[in-house]
Amino acid sequence: MEEKTVFTVSSNPLIRAKRDTTSIMLDVIIALIPALAVAVWQFGFNVLMLLCVSVASCVFFEWGYRKMMKKHASVGDLSAVVTGVLLTCVLPPSAPLWIPVIGSFFAIVVVKQLYGGIGMNFLNPALAGRAFLFSYSAIMTAWAVPAALKGVVDATTMATPLSYLYAGAPLPSYFNYQTLFLGTIPGSIGEVSVIALLIGAAYLLIRGVITWRIPTSFLGTVAVLCLLFGYEGYGNVEWMLYNLMTGGLIIGAFFMATDYSTSPVTLRGQIVFGIGCGALTVLIRYFGSYAEGVSYAILIMNICAWFIDKLTRPRRFGETAEDAKAKKAAAKAEKKKAKEAAAL
Amino acid sequence: MPYKYYGGVHPDYMKAPANKTPVTAIAPPKQVVLPMMQHIGAPNQPLVQVGDEVKVGQLIGSNPAPVSAPIHATVSGKVIAVEPRRHMLGDMVMSVVIENDGLDTPCEDMRPLTPEQLRDPEAILARIREAGVVGMGGAMFPTAFKIAGGRGKVDTLIINGAECEPYLCGDHRTMLEHPEELLKGIELVRIAQGLDKCYYGIEKNKQDAIDLLNSLNPADYGVEIIPEEVKYPQGAEKMQVKVNTNREVRPGEIPSGVGCNVVSTYTCYTIYRACYEGVPSIERVVTVAGSGIKEPKNLLCRFGTPLSHIFEEAGGFVKQPRRICMGGPLMGICVADIASGLVKGAAGLLVFTEEEDREVDNPVCIRCGNCIAHCPMKLEPIYLYMYINKGDYEKMEQYHVMDCFECGSCSYGCPGRLPLTHTFKMGKAMLTAKKAEDKARAIAEKANNGAGKGAVSAGKEGNV
Repeated sequence: MEEKTVFTVSSNPLIRAKRDTTSIMLDVIIALIPALAVAVWQFGFNVLMLLCVSVASCVFFEWGYRKMMKKHASVGDLSAVVTGVLLTCVLPPSAPLWIPVIGSFFAIVVVKQLYGGIGMNFLNPALAGRAFLFSYSAIMTAWAVPAALKGVVDATTMATPLSYLYAGAPLPSYFNYQTLFLGTIPGSIGEVSVIALLIGAAYLLIRGVITWRIPTSFLGTVAVLCLLFGYEGYGNVEWMLYNLMTGGLIIGAFFMATDYSTSPVTLRGQIVFGIGCGALTVLIRYFGSYAEGVSYAILIMNICAWFIDKLTRPRRFGETAEDAKAKKAAAKAEKKKAKEAAAL
Repeated sequence: MPYKYYGGVHPDYMKAPANKTPVTAIAPPKQVVLPMMQHIGAPNQPLVQVGDEVKVGQLIGSNPAPVSAPIHATVSGKVIAVEPRRHMLGDMVMSVVIENDGLDTPCEDMRPLTPEQLRDPEAILARIREAGVVGMGGAMFPTAFKIAGGRGKVDTLIINGAECEPYLCGDHRTMLEHPEELLKGIELVRIAQGLDKCYYGIEKNKQDAIDLLNSLNPADYGVEIIPEEVKYPQGAEKMQVKVNTNREVRPGEIPSGVGCNVVSTYTCYTIYRACYEGVPSIERVVTVAGSGIKEPKNLLCRFGTPLSHIFEEAGGFVKQPRRICMGGPLMGICVADIASGLVKGAAGLLVFTEEEDREVDNPVCIRCGNCIAHCPMKLEPIYLYMYINKGDYEKMEQYHVMDCFECGSCSYGCPGRLPLTHTFKMGKAMLTAKKAEDKARAIAEKANNGAGKGAVSAGKEGNV
């Protein structure tokens, strides 16, 4: 023991939780596997190809940009893989393979890395990538017929249930609670199967990767608004359930809106954020020229995230409501005084 | 029913195996190094010189200042040095080094209190002071001053038995091995504080201790046992106040500001020994554990025992340690030199190897918000971290950096491995220095304006 008596010193704490960024990202990837499995089952091999191309190009752009700009490598945190998987989830299953390459470039380089990389981007990369890809609107709105409807629908592409809902047309009989829940419907790769997404969401909640705040307030707001403002031809509850189960609302609420970088960090802020997402989704669906509201609702709220943080700061420990009020009043008085002094 | 507080983390508690085996007293070492500074407040002046013979419990250092706690010899023998030595916490501090003669000759200066004195708040308070009792949970604040300072203000006394830090279990063992003595010690603190009743908060992971203490009719001692949720930092003073009374200590204040005083378990036991047995604060139970220790256990150690000696008693190191800390792993302070002597506040000596090393080269914030969810002071570590790194003093104040009591919860739960707690320590120091500078500058300017040319030199001094 004599050989060394002097040791490294550092600030507390000396222990840290096992969970790190990489394990969080890995959990998100695991949670998306059920939804992707359903997509492969319904839409076939092209889904797998899109997934591979999307992930590979995201990782490549992340690696390449960091290398070029001489920043420390960050592909190890798996966040680029998550972006790749999420981007695949919001693509139509019949998209050509160059689509994810362009989407990845925009998502990783423009949206994420130009703002400083993980934690610094203010828009959800996958959703922003999708929004960018809408410049190819013909490709992005061509919905392949799922395997379960081959033979029932005699075409290569078909309309999604959401577009039926908002076109005022009655839903065809093959769009019902059961098919919506299971995912045997046309739509984006990751959005179709409610049950698969809920399994993934449950996993994320149990693992503590996401909390209930954003998804609950998001879905709750949509549910309440749809209940209150029903649509002709549908019972209010029926209308609400159809709205919840279509148009990527589930994947949006659990996987997109909960993105750390682009959502508020304060607990009250997260609830405000969820309510905002929900309200905007309904607003776009009801009044927009295009029924698909979730992704734009989230993107718009993304921009507000830091602002919401500032508005929803937690109450200071040891400061009662009266203390806070008194402080506010004092600050106001001081401002007034300063103004008056300036005026003089 | 205890109240709840916001935030907190749930680390692996790692209390076993040390909490299963009785405390063992280790043989006093050949030499003890007693720093004259084992408390918060004014440093003690050595009362002995090289060559003096001292007995166990003899007063060897004191200071008349009210915020201080005297030091007693922890072995009998000869003083071989009175010189600055390395303190456990890093500074060079005036210390008395005693060579043990192995006889443990007791000093008869301090007698047990008489039964009448044991009912007299003033006699108890005087004894707590002369026995050199400090907050044994780690803060090392002189207990007598805390009690005296709370008189007239404090209506609730809380005894802290949370022991919320991982590994530490010395208080738990004390509850199990000396329950009656502990209750008597608590009763003494209660009497000294002039109250009829007090709470004893114990985390539920010590159910055996809760049951044992409850079986001894704690109400007879004026004690109510409060089983508390298992969550770090339950044992922090502010959290104890919140949990037991639902009061929140106001920013920048101490618990007595909201009528509470918090005294830790081992402090009460030390007070029991000082009053009933006439033994000053000369030893304590230390949990020696961590991945680098061969036989984790609780040892009863005399103060001043070189840490290396204590580690040998616990089987030595498994392999070369990376870091050693005094206290728990979350709030503990790193020890630089294990040749230094044990001090009063060391509830634990934890040895960590690279197994616990989870630092990364490039910590990156992913804005997960865990730090906000974990901060028991409801701060926003994520933004504070940003503002401190930017050096934005105004924002640092707006985001209440001074409220941080450095519990480490934010850093513990940060998946990006940001040095949050470390940065807040820095931020607090920066802000304090800035304020002192501003104040000095203001004084200097005032002097300049007021006294004209004559005060220019004074103004310059103020800027330094």
